[in-house]
Amino acid sequence: MAGVTLSNIRKTYGTLAAVDDVSIEILDGELLALLGPSGCGKTTTLRMIAGFVAPTAGTVRFGGRDVTRVPVHKRNVGMVFQGYALFPHLTVAKNVEFGLKVRGWDKAKIAARVTEMLHWVQMEALAERSPRALSGGQQQRVALARAMAHEPEVLLLDEPFSALDAKLRGQMRTEIRELQRQAGITSVFVTHDQEEAMAIADRIGVMNHGRLEQLGSAEDLYKRPVSRFVAGFIGKCNFIEGHVTGPGRFETANGQALQFSGEHSIGPAALCFRPEHGVLTPLATPGNSLPVTVKAVTYLGPVTEYDLVSEAGNRLLVSASSSGEGAPKEGDKLSVAWSIGDAFVVD
Amino acid sequence: MREGRNWGGSALVVPALFLVAAFLLAPLALILRYSFDKYDPVKLMLGIFSPGNYVQAVADPFYQNVLSTTAYIAALSTVIVMLLAFPVAYYISRVESQRLRGWLIILTMLPLLLGNAVRSAAWMIVMGTKGVANAVMLGVGLIEEPIKILYTPTAVVIALVSVLLPFAIITLQSVMDAIPTSLEEAGQSLGHSPLRTVFEVVLPLAMPGVVAAAAISFALAMNAYATPVLIGGPTMKMMGPAVYDQIAKANNWPFGSTLACILMVVTLVLTVLSTRFLSRKYF
Repeated sequence: MAGVTLSNIRKTYGTLAAVDDVSIEILDGELLALLGPSGCGKTTTLRMIAGFVAPTAGTVRFGGRDVTRVPVHKRNVGMVFQGYALFPHLTVAKNVEFGLKVRGWDKAKIAARVTEMLHWVQMEALAERSPRALSGGQQQRVALARAMAHEPEVLLLDEPFSALDAKLRGQMRTEIRELQRQAGITSVFVTHDQEEAMAIADRIGVMNHGRLEQLGSAEDLYKRPVSRFVAGFIGKCNFIEGHVTGPGRFETANGQALQFSGEHSIGPAALCFRPEHGVLTPLATPGNSLPVTVKAVTYLGPVTEYDLVSEAGNRLLVSASSSGEGAPKEGDKLSVAWSIGDAFVVD
Repeated sequence: MREGRNWGGSALVVPALFLVAAFLLAPLALILRYSFDKYDPVKLMLGIFSPGNYVQAVADPFYQNVLSTTAYIAALSTVIVMLLAFPVAYYISRVESQRLRGWLIILTMLPLLLGNAVRSAAWMIVMGTKGVANAVMLGVGLIEEPIKILYTPTAVVIALVSVLLPFAIITLQSVMDAIPTSLEEAGQSLGHSPLRTVFEVVLPLAMPGVVAAAAISFALAMNAYATPVLIGGPTMKMMGPAVYDQIAKANNWPFGSTLACILMVVTLVLTVLSTRFLSRKYF
């Protein structure tokens, strides 16, 4: 087992940089999610770790070994593909066996390992089935067993849950996370679903336009996003345009003074707070509230979402526990307030 | 199932079915009937029913020879065609640029746009004793004297391979297009080199295409006419020309029909046998 180090890797297609100077140190045994919208470079990054794509610049290391120029089949990775890519002409057991014979394992060792892997993913009973006869969740388990059978140094998962329906997705997520912990294998998985990334990853790398925007735990990303993109991509966020006038001081576009926590250089920026940190109140407080009009009320069960418009035309969102009496209604003129500790500023 | 809809769908095959029945099955039935008749120099056919022609054809060493030569040439051509077509089809189906892919497919089909006669004439120019191939080989010092290529079985195989290649490549390529590249990537991620992955993953999954392409090639080669006549020359006897000689030259319709029926049955039996052999090995 080993960690994976990406140093300044870059991949350009013509003039387009699909991945632009990305450096990540993936720790031994860690599950790292690469998260971002489609076209952000997360899949290309994964494929460079796998060896399907050669970086234009930079190096990929497994432990201390530089594998940048090593072809896929000599890298000792395990990969779970989007849609699983199980071999339809082979049985479940033969699929799991596929990576073993080529490594020169003897028959007894292969048979023992296949049994062990099928037991690990609870698929022994279906060993002689064709993958075509399996459900999505079963196929995924086989794909994982196949990827892990040859004891790879690194496990790579490309959108592993995208082909499953919503209910099964949650279940398989927990299952894969547990199996990954048991095996203690360094893993990288690619997803565009922030909830999925937050649910199972130790750390998340958020990518946009080929660059790594931020790398950190789910909590880091949610509480201390370093950019507007991360703030907007991880959870919902309100942005109030304006500029920073001094330490902790912010002025909105129409001249209202607000305060925030944290550091930011003087200049144009946006003040942000999360919808759940906003409170609708009839009382305006200076420095941490804005007068708003309620535009729409969406009842979602435990919480109710309020779409608001400020005097300056900013659209804001506040979510609050649903309460029967005295809840704000459409057209109400109120103030939205937040605690200064929950307000932060991004470029 | 709702019957009305089924009938609506079935109605679509009626025109094609009619055409096949009228212009293919009926003449076939006639040929089958003639093959049991007996030739008469005056009346052409006696209108009797006897297996005499079959006995004569099967017992005659000349026709035994023609049939075995035909089967041998067809099988050899098919094997060569498949060996050449597989890598080309694989390359075309995996090429990334759609433009290049389009051009490659057109290039593959190009030989089919020439007529049989034109293509054979071109081969005669290339393969003649004073032809292009000899001139080139003499020029680079590969041979001392012109060698005989035209009017040899080798020449027939070369020419047949060139005709059959487009059919085999297009058939294989369409099957390979349906094999997701992620399966090959999976093979490589499991430690198989790209070449080994082709043998372990692509070949078994492309087997239906391999069987279809081989069957088409073999059937076309067995029944070839223009190529053996023009490239093989007068001494090279294959079944297609033999049928023609009997019917058109000797006016012996019954015996020509018998040879045609034998050719049909042998082609069918060999194709079915080899198809089943390949299928059993891979599915």
